[in-house]
Amino acid sequence: MKVTIQSKSGELSFECEVGENLLYAGLRNGLSLPYECATGTCGTCRARVMEGEPEIGWSEAPGLSYVKQEKREVLMCQATAQGDCTLRVPAKVADGGGRGVAPEYGTGTIARVEKLTHDVMVFAVDLDTPMRFDAGQFVVVETGAVPGGRAYSMINYEDGAAVLEFVVKQKPDGRFSDWLFGDDRTGETVRIFGPLGRATFHPEEGKNVLCIGGGSGIAGIMSILAKAAGEGYFSDRRGYVFFGVRTAEDTFFMDELSAHAAAAPDNLEVVVALSDEDVPPALERKYSALTFATGLVHTVAAERMAGRWDDLIAYVAGPPPMVDGALRMLIIEARLPGTDIRYDKFG
Amino acid sequence: MSWKRVCAAGEVAENTFRKFEVDGIAVIVANVGDGYRAFPPLCPHMAEPLVESGIYEDGVLTCTKHLWQWNLRTGDMVGLAERKLLMYEVKREGDDVLAYIERELAYEYHEEDELDDDDFFSGD
Repeated sequence: MKVTIQSKSGELSFECEVGENLLYAGLRNGLSLPYECATGTCGTCRARVMEGEPEIGWSEAPGLSYVKQEKREVLMCQATAQGDCTLRVPAKVADGGGRGVAPEYGTGTIARVEKLTHDVMVFAVDLDTPMRFDAGQFVVVETGAVPGGRAYSMINYEDGAAVLEFVVKQKPDGRFSDWLFGDDRTGETVRIFGPLGRATFHPEEGKNVLCIGGGSGIAGIMSILAKAAGEGYFSDRRGYVFFGVRTAEDTFFMDELSAHAAAAPDNLEVVVALSDEDVPPALERKYSALTFATGLVHTVAAERMAGRWDDLIAYVAGPPPMVDGALRMLIIEARLPGTDIRYDKFG
Repeated sequence: MSWKRVCAAGEVAENTFRKFEVDGIAVIVANVGDGYRAFPPLCPHMAEPLVESGIYEDGVLTCTKHLWQWNLRTGDMVGLAERKLLMYEVKREGDDVLAYIERELAYEYHEEDELDDDDFFSGD
C-alpha cells in the first residue's frame, strides 16, 4: 500500500503494510516526519487525512487534544493504514538525510529485571538483531500483555548493541510497569521499534556537555556518559551531570556515576540533587567521587553552573515540571540558544 | 475596529509580557525595553498558550513546547522556529499602549486551502 505525505517541502510517498502504524512506516522508510514521544502524548505528529481511511487507534491518546478529529486529523503515531492514503503534515518533511539510522522493527527477549529502588527498575532486552543507535535515543517497547507501546531511553551504548537496557519507574496505574513489576518477566518476548529521538550526543560536535536528569530521565544521560567514556571525551572536554531525585532512598546508578566521575576527575562533575531532604552524611561518604546537594535539580544546576555556560550543549530529561524548569533556567539564566538545548518532550 | 487601548504602559514591566483582552480578543503585550509588541496568545506551531509555555528574555520569545523562538524587536524567527509570529501594530499614547486591531489575528492550524495558496505550506 502507498502512503502519500503532503508537506511544506512538497510531496513524498512510501510503502506501508496494511495495519501498520503510519508514523513508524514513514520513519522506517527514511522520512523525517515530525514526532517527539511516538506514543500518543505530545501531539507533534498530527496530520490531516486528505484521502483514504486510516484507523484512528487509541481514542484516548492525550495528544489528541492537539488535533481536530471532526476535520479528519489524526496522530500518525496512533493511526494505522488500512489502504492507500494521503496525509497532510504541517512541517517540512525530507526523504533521508537525517542524522543516525532509520528506525526499524525488532524483537527481543527480556533477559534481566532488577529493582533499583522501591519504584525504579532496570530491565534488559536481548535483541534478535543488533541495533545501531545514537546515545540519548529511545525505542518503543511493546508486549502482548499490555496494549500500546511505551517509550524508553537506552541507558547503555554500543555501536551495534545486542542488548538494550532501560529504566522504568513504577507509576500509579502504569500498566506496563505494573506488568513488569508484577511477576518474573524474564524470557518474555517484546517488540521494539527504534531507534527514535533527536536528543542525541555526537562527540564530533566537540562541545562541553551539560546533562540535567530527573528520576528515570537519567536513562539517556547514562547512554551519553557511556559513549563519552568510550571515546575518552572528557579528557579534553568538560562534562556536568545533574541528577535529581527526591531522597537518598530514591538514588540509583550511584556506582556507575561514581565510576564515570572517578575516570575523569578533572573534567567531569556529577552532582546528585535531593529535592526533599538534606544530604545524609553517610551518602556523601559512600560516594566520594560524587557531589551532593539539596534542592530542585535545575536550581542546583543553575547555581553551580553560573559563569560556566560557554560552549556547551545541554541535554534535559525527566518529569515534565522538571523539564520545564530546566528549560526556563537554560534560556533565561544560561542564555543558551534553543539549538543548543536537546530534549524529547513526552508531555 | 481600529486603534484600541490594550493596557497602561506601566502594567507590563520591561522584559516581561502579559495577556490582555480587548473587546473579547486576547492579546499578549510584551515590553521590549524601547517599546511594546502585541501579538496573539497562541504559539503558531501547535497553539500552545504562550502565557504558560512562553518565556520572554532579552528580546527573544521562546515557546518551550518545541523551543521555537522569535525576536520580538524585529519579528524575525530565531533558531528552530518555522513560522512567523503575527503581530499587531502598536503605539504608545501617553501612559497607554494601543494596538491596531482591525480583526483578530489567528493562525491557520488546520489548513483548508489548496497547497499552492496555503500560507501554512508556503514556507518561509
